[in-house]
Amino acid sequence: MITKEDLTAYVQQSIADAKVSVTDRTGTMDHFNIQVVSDNFRGRNLLDRHRMIYQALDEPMKDGRIHALEIQAKTTEEI
Amino acid sequence: MADLIEQEIKSEIENNKILIYGKGTKSAPQCGFTVETIEFFDKFGYPYELINVLPHPEKREALNKMTNWPTLPKVFINGTFYGDTDILGPMEQKGELQTLLKEAFKTE
Repeated sequence: MITKEDLTAYVQQSIADAKVSVTDRTGTMDHFNIQVVSDNFRGRNLLDRHRMIYQALDEPMKDGRIHALEIQAKTTEEI
Repeated sequence: MADLIEQEIKSEIENNKILIYGKGTKSAPQCGFTVETIEFFDKFGYPYELINVLPHPEKREALNKMTNWPTLPKVFINGTFYGDTDILGPMEQKGELQTLLKEAFKTE
């Protein structure tokens, strides 16, 4: 289990300008949908954008606080 | 031991135009995302292979390193890594996936 605030903080630690919206998909606080909007994604393909987010969330994913994650990663122009 | 596993993975990737590494089997998938990926590819009607890596932790680790991608399922099309349906979904919406699949299955 992890709170939305902690999830957002983890993302913003490595993607400073990230605007993060988190949805708990199952009510168990460990299956999330996360949308990250950041201009750091400009010029990066989807795979690399998702890799950036996985790296930012490496710790809570490895220790099991996050069990499942659906990701959308866009720049401000793409929303 | 490691290069044996890498060899096994490389040949699986080469021998399957659509290859999914996931949790469970086609008849008994053991994870929601694996089910989602099976259903995703069933729509296109092309043949695909699902390889269960749940019983093979060392293979799972080798795949994580090879792709720099920490989760399952992992999808390879025509030998190239494409992540999972979070990546393939938007590609489908832009029509990129359909072209890629046609290219992969066109008989020379």
